[in-house]
Amino acid sequence: MTEQAQLLPGTLDLLILKAASLGPLHGYGVLLRIEQITHGALLAEQGALYPALYRLEHQGLLESEWGTSDNNRRAKFYTLTVAGRRRLREETESWNRLAVAIGSALRAKPQES
Amino acid sequence: MFTGIRSYFQALRQRAAFEREMDDELRHHIETRSADLMRTGLTRKEAVRRARIEFGGVESYQDECRESRKLHLIENLIQDVRAGLRLLRKNAGFTALAVLTLALGIGANTAIFSIVDAVLLRPLPVSHPEQVSVLSAQQKGHFSDGFSYPNFRDIRSQTSNVFSNVGSYDLGQDGLTVEGKTQPIFTGYVSGSFFPMIGVKPYLGRFILPSEGEVAGADPVLVISYTIWKTRFGSDPSVIGKNVAINGHAMTVIGVAPAGLHVLSALLETQAYLPSGMVALEQGRPADQLTNRSEKYPLILARLKDGVSVAQAQSVLDVVSQRLAKQSPETNDGMALHVWHLEPMGPGTNPASNPVRTFAALFLGLAFMVLVLACLNVANMLLVRASARQREMAVRAALGAARGRLIRQLLVESMLLAGLGCALGIGLGIAASRAISSMNLRTALPFTLNFQFDWRVLVYALAMAFATGFLAGIVPAVRASRTNLSDMLHQGDRSASFGRQRLRSALVAAQVAGSLTLLVVAGLFTRSLSNVRFADLGFDPQHVLNLTMDPHGIGYDEAQGRDFYRQLLARIEALPGVQSAATATTVPMGEFELGGSVEIEGHPVESGQPKRSAGINFVSPDYFDTMRIPILRGRKFTDGDVQNSRYVALINETMVQQFWPNEDPIGRRFTSSDDPKHSIEVVGVVRNSKTGGLVDAPAPYFYAPLAQHYNSLTTLHVRAVASTESIARETVGTIESLAPTMPVYNVETMSESLKSVNGLFLFAFGAGLAGSLGILGLVLATTGVYGVVSFAAAQRTREIGIRMALGARPAQVLSMVCKQGVVIIAIGLLIGLGAALAMGRLVGSALIGIGPNDPLTFVTVSAMLLAVGIAACYIPARRAAKVDPVVALRHE
Repeated sequence: MTEQAQLLPGTLDLLILKAASLGPLHGYGVLLRIEQITHGALLAEQGALYPALYRLEHQGLLESEWGTSDNNRRAKFYTLTVAGRRRLREETESWNRLAVAIGSALRAKPQES
Repeated sequence: MFTGIRSYFQALRQRAAFEREMDDELRHHIETRSADLMRTGLTRKEAVRRARIEFGGVESYQDECRESRKLHLIENLIQDVRAGLRLLRKNAGFTALAVLTLALGIGANTAIFSIVDAVLLRPLPVSHPEQVSVLSAQQKGHFSDGFSYPNFRDIRSQTSNVFSNVGSYDLGQDGLTVEGKTQPIFTGYVSGSFFPMIGVKPYLGRFILPSEGEVAGADPVLVISYTIWKTRFGSDPSVIGKNVAINGHAMTVIGVAPAGLHVLSALLETQAYLPSGMVALEQGRPADQLTNRSEKYPLILARLKDGVSVAQAQSVLDVVSQRLAKQSPETNDGMALHVWHLEPMGPGTNPASNPVRTFAALFLGLAFMVLVLACLNVANMLLVRASARQREMAVRAALGAARGRLIRQLLVESMLLAGLGCALGIGLGIAASRAISSMNLRTALPFTLNFQFDWRVLVYALAMAFATGFLAGIVPAVRASRTNLSDMLHQGDRSASFGRQRLRSALVAAQVAGSLTLLVVAGLFTRSLSNVRFADLGFDPQHVLNLTMDPHGIGYDEAQGRDFYRQLLARIEALPGVQSAATATTVPMGEFELGGSVEIEGHPVESGQPKRSAGINFVSPDYFDTMRIPILRGRKFTDGDVQNSRYVALINETMVQQFWPNEDPIGRRFTSSDDPKHSIEVVGVVRNSKTGGLVDAPAPYFYAPLAQHYNSLTTLHVRAVASTESIARETVGTIESLAPTMPVYNVETMSESLKSVNGLFLFAFGAGLAGSLGILGLVLATTGVYGVVSFAAAQRTREIGIRMALGARPAQVLSMVCKQGVVIIAIGLLIGLGAALAMGRLVGSALIGIGPNDPLTFVTVSAMLLAVGIAACYIPARRAAKVDPVVALRHE
C-alpha cells in the first residue's frame, strides 16, 4: 500500500467527475473507476468519497437515481449533468495548463549570467 | 445557486428519507467492498472488518454529507434552541423578568404604532388608493379645499386627460328620521361621479349614479353607511326602497355602503351619502348653490389615470387655473390649483405640514425610548448572567467550540427571550389599543377609533422583537465568547469582569438618561394639563348644562324654529333651579367654529394686506349671564335686537385692540362676510374668553344676536342654581313637551364637554400616554441601577470582607458601595438633562402655561430620579455592609 500514490488535495472532485463522465456509477463503482483510471492512486479513507459526491450533487454537477447494481442490490447511481460536463471540461483545461506550467518550471535550468 | 436551494429544501422536507438513503448507500458500499475482499480469500468476518477500516469513520463522513447539504445549520439551531429553552426554564425568575421587561417595551410600541397605523398608514378602503388625490386652491395667500360647484364642473371637464374621474364631496350635518325617530347624522353630498371615482361596490342596493345629483332637488335618494344600516335598520336586508326623512324631507334608501368605508378620515364615518343636487335644499343654502361661483363648499377628489403622476396632473391644473381665472375673474382671479395625494388621514390643505404627523412621531419616539430602556435592561441582565457563565464559555471554547457558534448560542437565547417578550407584548399592545379605542371622545360626531392590529402592526412588533433580541444579546454574547480560558482559570471570578462592570455602568447611565427624558416629557404634559384645568377660560363652565338640538332635522322652517326657541327659552328659565338659559350656535372648544372676514368701516385694509378676520358666535340675549362672560362696556343684547332693527354686535377685547386701537369702539360699524348686506354696529365690549382650541392665542371675536342671524342648529346652555343633575331631566322633558320628535344630543355638563377633542382631550391623552411611558422608564431605570449596584457589591464581597477585617466600619462600606451607584446616576442625569432639553423643544408647541425648559419640571424629575436611584443603591449597599468578614473570606 505504501508504494501507491495518494491523491493530491483538490483532485478528488475532478476525478469523480471524470469517473462519472464514463457512465452512471454507484459510489463504490466510482471508487473502483478512480482506482482503475489512476492506476491505483488511493483515497486515505474510502468514506471521504461520499461527502464529495453529496457536495457535487448539491452543486448540480451530478444527479443521482436509485437502481439495481450488478450483484442485484439496490444502489444509488450517479450521472454527470450538463453543468457537470462543462465543469469537467473547464477543470481539465485548467489542470492541463497548470501541469504544463509546473512541468516547464521544473525543467528550467539555472541561467548563466 | 437554484439547484443548491432546491436540494436544500428537498433535504429539509425529506429529512428522514435523506438519512435512510444515506445509510443504505454507505451500507451498500461496505457490503460490496466486503464481497470483493472475500473474493481475495478473506473470511467474511475479516472482510467486513477490513472494509470498515478502509471506509474510515462512518459517523464523521455522515456528518460531512449532512453538512454538504447545509443540514447541520438547522441541526445546530435546533440544538441551540433546545439548550436555550432549557436554560430559560431553569432560571424561571430571570426569564420572567426579562420577558416582562421586553413585553412592556414591545407592548407600548405596538399599541402606539397601532394608533399611528390607523390614522396615518392604513390605506383608504377604496380601489387603488394610491391613485386618489385631492385638490386645493390657493388664492390671495390662503389655501382652501372648498370649491364652487361651477368650478368643480369646469375642472372635471378640463382634466380628463390626467384624471379618470373627478368627484365632489360636500359635508353636512342633518337629521335622519326613521319611523318617527330622528337622530343627527354626518352626511356627505356627493356628485354622481364620486362613487365611480372611489371604485368600491355597494354592500346592498346601488350607489348614487353619475346621472344623479346634477339638478337641484331632483334626486331624493340616499345611501346609508353600514353602521347606520346595522344600528338604525337592524341589518334589515330589505332596507332598499324604504322611505326615510332627511331634515323632514322624504327620501328613498337606495343602497348600503360597505363596512368601514371612509374617504375623509379613518376616524370619522360618513353616515349617509346624498346627491349633491340635494345640498341647497337640505343645508338651507341659496337655491343657486350649484351654479353660483362664489359659494365655495365641496372638496374635489380625483382619480389619476393609470401611469399619470401627481406632478403631471399638477402641470395640467396650472393651465386650468389660468383658464379659470381668465374666464371668471370676479371669483377666480389669482387662483392657483394644487393637487395632493389623498393621505389615509384625509384631506388637509397642505399635508406636508400636518400636526398629526409631528404628534405621531413624538409618541413613537417616546415609545421607542421605552423599548431602548427595556433593551438596555435585558442586556444588563444578560451581562450579569454571562459573567456567571464565563467558566462554561471558556471551557467550551477550550474544548474546540467555534467562537461563532458560542455567539450564536447566546444570541439564540436572547432571541428566545425577545420572542417570548414579543408574544406577551403583542397581547399587552392589543389590550392597550382596545382600551384606547374604547375611550369616550365626548362628541356626537361619528368618530370611529379602530386601532386594530393588522399585518403592519404585527410586522412592526416582530421587527422590534428581532432588533431587541439582537441588540440586547449581541454585546453580552461577543464579550462572553471572547473569554480566554487561561485568564479565566487563573484569575477566578473577580478581575475578569472589571471591563464588563464598566460597560454595565455605561448601560445604566444610559438608562437613567433615557428615563429622565421620558419623565421630563411626561412632567411637561402633566403640568400643561393641570394648567389647562385651572386655566382662566374667560367663562365659567361650572353648573352649566349643554344640550344640542336641530329643529331643521325634523323639518321646521325658520319661522317654526324661531317660535320653538322663543317658547323653549321662556319655559326653561321658568323652571325651578334654573338661574338662566341661552342658546348659541357654537360651543367653546366645541366641534366647530364660525368665523369670516370682516371689513371695518372707516379703516379699509391697505391693498396687498390680507383681509381682517374674526370668529363669530350667534347667541340669545342671556348668553353672557349664563356663561358669566363679563360685559366690560356698553350693553348686552335685548329682546329688542330683532331682524328689522339695527344689526348689533358685542366684540371681545382683542377685536378692540386690533381693529380700533386707541378708539372708543362703541357705535363703530363693520360688515362680516357671513352677511355682507348688513352693517353691524358695536354696542358693547366683552372680556376675552377661550373659543376655539385651548392653546390658541386670543383672536378677534364677536357675538351677534341669534334673532338677527337665524341658525337652526344650536346648543342650549342652562345655568343651574346648584347642580346640573337636578335640572337635566326637566330640561329634556321641556323640549319633548314642545316638540316630541326633536333630536337632542350632547346632553352633558359644560365641564364634560370641555374634555372634547378640541378641549382637554388631547392634553389628557398626551399626559396619560407620556406619563405611562415615563413610569415604565422609571421602573426600568430603577431595576437597572439596583441590578448593577447589587451585582457590583456581590462581586466585591471578598474585598469588603477584607476591608472590614482590617477595621472598616459598616458606614464606610455603605458609602463606598453607594458612591459607585450615585456616580453612575449623576452621569446619567447629566446626559439625560441634555436629551430632555432637546426633547422639550420638540413638544414645546403643545405645552400650555409653561416653557419647554420649565425649571420646576426639570428639578422635580431629576430629584425624584436621583432619590429613587439612591434608594436602589442603598438596599444592596446595606446588605454589603452587613457582610460577615469571616463568611466573606471563606466564600471562595
